[in-house]
Amino acid sequence: MEYRVRVEISLKSGHSDPEGETTKKALFELKYPVKAVNVSKVYNIRLEATSLKDAKGKVEEICRRLLANPVKDNYEFEIEEVK
Amino acid sequence: MKKEDVRICVMRVGGTNCDAETKRAFEDLCVKAEVVHLNQIVNRKNLLSYDALVFPGGFSFGDYVRAGAIWAKGIAAKLGRDLKKFVEQEKPVLGICNGFQVLVEAGLLPGFDRVSEYPQAALATNEPTGYRCKWVHLKHENSGRCIFTQKIPKRQVLRIPIAHAEGRFIFPREQEKEYLQRLLDNDQLVFRYCSQEGEYAGGAYPANPNGAFYDIAGICSVDGTIFGLMPHPERAYYGWQLPDWTRREQVPKYGDGKLIFESMTEYLTKKF
Amino acid sequence: MSLYIKTDVPFELNEIRLPKANNKQLLQISKELELGLNLEEMKAIQKHFAMKGRNPTDVELQTIGQTWSEHCHHKTFKGDVVTENGTIKSLFQTYIAKATMELNPDWCLSVFEDNAGIINFDKGVALAAKVETHNHPSAIEPFGGAATGVGGVIRDILGVWAEPIACTDVLGFGPLNFEHDKLPVGVKHPKYIFSGVISGIGCYGNNMGIPTVNGAIYFDETYVGNVVVYCGCIGTLPKDKFVKDAKPGDIILLVGGKTGRDGIHGVTFASAELTEKSEEISRPAVQIANPIEEEKLKRAIIEVRDCQLGSSITDLGGGGLSSAIGETAEKSGCGAYVELEKVPLKRMGIAPWEIYISESQERMLLLVPKKNLREVLEKFESEDVKATPIGKFIKDKMLKISYQGYKVAEIEIEFLFKPPKPQRTARWKAPSYEEPRFPEPQELTKDVLKILSSPNVASKESVIRTYDHEVKGNTALKPLQGRYAGPSDAAVLKPLEDSWKGVVLSCGMNPNYGKIDPYWMAASSIDEAIRNNTAVGGRRIALLDNFTWGNPEKTDRMSTLVRACQACYKFAKGFETPFISGKDSLYNESPSGPITPTLLITAVGLIPDVRKTVSMDVKQAGNLIYIVGQTYPELGGSEYYKSRGFLGKTIPEVRISQARKIMKSIVRAVDLGCIKTCHDLSEGGLAVAVSEMAFTGDYGIELHLKNVPRSRSMQRNDFILFSESNSRFLVEVQEKRRRDFQALMDGVAFSVVGRVQRKRRLQVYGSDESTVVDASLVELRKAWKGTFGG
Repeated sequence: MEYRVRVEISLKSGHSDPEGETTKKALFELKYPVKAVNVSKVYNIRLEATSLKDAKGKVEEICRRLLANPVKDNYEFEIEEVK
Repeated sequence: MKKEDVRICVMRVGGTNCDAETKRAFEDLCVKAEVVHLNQIVNRKNLLSYDALVFPGGFSFGDYVRAGAIWAKGIAAKLGRDLKKFVEQEKPVLGICNGFQVLVEAGLLPGFDRVSEYPQAALATNEPTGYRCKWVHLKHENSGRCIFTQKIPKRQVLRIPIAHAEGRFIFPREQEKEYLQRLLDNDQLVFRYCSQEGEYAGGAYPANPNGAFYDIAGICSVDGTIFGLMPHPERAYYGWQLPDWTRREQVPKYGDGKLIFESMTEYLTKKF
Repeated sequence: MSLYIKTDVPFELNEIRLPKANNKQLLQISKELELGLNLEEMKAIQKHFAMKGRNPTDVELQTIGQTWSEHCHHKTFKGDVVTENGTIKSLFQTYIAKATMELNPDWCLSVFEDNAGIINFDKGVALAAKVETHNHPSAIEPFGGAATGVGGVIRDILGVWAEPIACTDVLGFGPLNFEHDKLPVGVKHPKYIFSGVISGIGCYGNNMGIPTVNGAIYFDETYVGNVVVYCGCIGTLPKDKFVKDAKPGDIILLVGGKTGRDGIHGVTFASAELTEKSEEISRPAVQIANPIEEEKLKRAIIEVRDCQLGSSITDLGGGGLSSAIGETAEKSGCGAYVELEKVPLKRMGIAPWEIYISESQERMLLLVPKKNLREVLEKFESEDVKATPIGKFIKDKMLKISYQGYKVAEIEIEFLFKPPKPQRTARWKAPSYEEPRFPEPQELTKDVLKILSSPNVASKESVIRTYDHEVKGNTALKPLQGRYAGPSDAAVLKPLEDSWKGVVLSCGMNPNYGKIDPYWMAASSIDEAIRNNTAVGGRRIALLDNFTWGNPEKTDRMSTLVRACQACYKFAKGFETPFISGKDSLYNESPSGPITPTLLITAVGLIPDVRKTVSMDVKQAGNLIYIVGQTYPELGGSEYYKSRGFLGKTIPEVRISQARKIMKSIVRAVDLGCIKTCHDLSEGGLAVAVSEMAFTGDYGIELHLKNVPRSRSMQRNDFILFSESNSRFLVEVQEKRRRDFQALMDGVAFSVVGRVQRKRRLQVYGSDESTVVDASLVELRKAWKGTFGG
């Protein structure tokens, strides 16, 4: 079965986000009343798996193995079956 | 082992771009260095035929996902077993800039438990943010563990340039203190950013160019045979590469970067 | 009746009822298909197909449109120009190429005809150099436009089989503090464009590992709607590995990235004025950059070169496949047969004409003899780069294109390269400017600080540091000098391991003078580029020209172009510095008006031993400071006038016989080791040069204006201090070399004007010995670095 997965990698709280800070400054200069910007990264993945549980396990592994560095990154994901 | 018999593997993948000058540094020391593509080593299964392994600087795989991450996982998957043996034989492994990022992502550095399954540190985006190419000062902190800095007296200040956007060395927030203590206890700390006069940067820009925790610029493994650093010693190898050699009466022959390549070569010729 | 006939094939292919179209319809077709062709050109095509007795296909019309565009064919430079003094047959032949042909140095190996100029270097290695303009794409999408500008010029270097070793970039922006409310509709704020362009340039060069070593940034009001982006690249090439000799039967190999809809009609777009709507219409014309793909491509191409497996090469830039295949076939005296369905695509459903003219990035074209094909394919595969045979060269001098077995184009190569010769008209009207009148200030410290902090003079360190200028480890003189990061006059590279010979890269550009007289503006740019090269010890200089101008169909824009070209001939010849390559970007007009005529001159020089390179920071207290070259009351267009809100009238001229002599004397003095420090005088004149030398070297300087060699009429201290007269240097000489140095300067204007001092202050005394400037190095440095940080 095929699953559509959306993985979001964001910075753990407590770690500074220079990219977000810089973007905030830039938006502010364009005169937007921006309070905060946090940058995260989204991966849209299509995945083969035998079941939803199997898919979850695989995505978990993908995140831990490559997409996130646990030292600084959080990850969360959504999975839906492709009909 | 005689100098002439040493064979160094300067590994590259798509996006590696400091391989030629790294090879040149070794060759200046009369050591044979080969630039080899990862795919070639995988196909020939000959990693263990080399005496040392270098991950040079660049933007491997476009720095996608995280700088060094894709290369690191690729090696683990394709060369994991050979690399483990390589490291166990205490053959030196050097990572410069992107290479340092690879060693950290591969769990080889700091490698408190030899090789960790997940990274124990990270090289995060610079603070202040952005790519930065400049000369920095480094204080040598190692008491003798690191085989790459044997020729450098402790507390000596070196001048070597950096060029990166992701070089802020950090530990997990919760374990910061603990990991730092282990780093110090194991004599794994090698270089810290400092001022021209040798005072620690104290986290402050510009002496600390990327906001690295504890001004960390380079660390080695527990046994001292794996070493990673953000600055580029191959760009401070010859005297004419220095930023102010035109001020000297005589052009110096070499720069501080040479000491690292020399120490590594000497280790190889003595140990093997 | 529709002008277009959908043909009965399983893909999109239209015939156009051209033979029977009237004038209005011809123009309508040109517009609807975005061909960018005028009536005369459309008529020529009409005639051609009427003769053939058939309708052209969209593939054919698009191919012709691309090949005949200003961007690909340089109509303005090749066409006739009617002036008050008769008709000029081709600006390019009459002025630019003429200097080179007359000088005809044996070290110029290939000029103008290829992707890049090629000159001799050392040990069997030649240098290839090219500078591109990428203004239009950068105005619409700053990051992508600038990045692909760098990518494109790097491919130009690869396109002559050379390995890129360094990049340069010269940029022009509107003032960063421009008021948002005053921006014309559809024009982006200079600040946005500035940050986008700079990250684009850094991203490409850094990712590919090619150092960005030289450049400049200028600000001008007319750049608000017209950003200026010049990207240069230089490469090395073993002379015996150069081959451009494709034969019938050779395979056309498309290598690199896949082809998509990105960058369709980039060249037509670059050959038109930007309008309010350019953004919406032109988005697809901006290409997407992937530097890592090009890095791999570079490795594979250098491998193929070293094994001598190809028979020709060219890059895919403006016009995509259509230009690359057409031009290579024409130059090789062959025809080409192309099977378009073989081109690897980013997505399905792209029409044949789009495939043929797409400007997707990171692609190159190789010609490979059949017997070498397998080996070449293996080389690309081992670098993970796609390489696809898409056709072959044929004897018959025709361009034949098929798609899925259907014929979609068949055009005579000769017709493709014989567009109607355009005619432009030039009318010069000298602008009536006046010299400003204002009393001489007694004290000039404030003015010095103000000019040091003005955007055109202030330190660009915060930008330069975002470019890797040291990768490859061959940068012997860096763009930023020493601890205080002073502005080097030129960059010096040591590209060969077994030779001390260095390449010297510098540039010159003076848009502000262009407002008064484009002739002296061009002369000054040439002088400045050469002067910067000379200052570090460069000689045997080759020049590259890059014009950024307004709409050449307007007579006043055309007349300024003619004047600039006339100066190019005169001074290239006079300095004995041939042009080897160039590129123009015309139609730089936006809702806010035409651009200030902007000529960039890039100079590529040599130094026999990089260890003799001279930097611009003073070295030792007690040493003498000399000025070399005469100072004239030439403050028109100067930073001093500008700081007071004036433009002025008298801009710096170039006295060629003196100028040439000065450059030669300086080089000799460098070779004999008489010079400790040398810095050129440009924007801000003597004041800026002496400040930069002092605060970079961290020693003070005392300077006496009364000793400055100058025109008799020059009495005012402010004029002596801020005049921007050309061909001048400040030089630091040790007392013990005083006599040697003076002997070497025999026959040129020079004088001791000061001394390096331990006291960290700049102290300038006027012609009556009164103090006119007294400032600490810290103050000066702060003013210079404060504007952009660093």
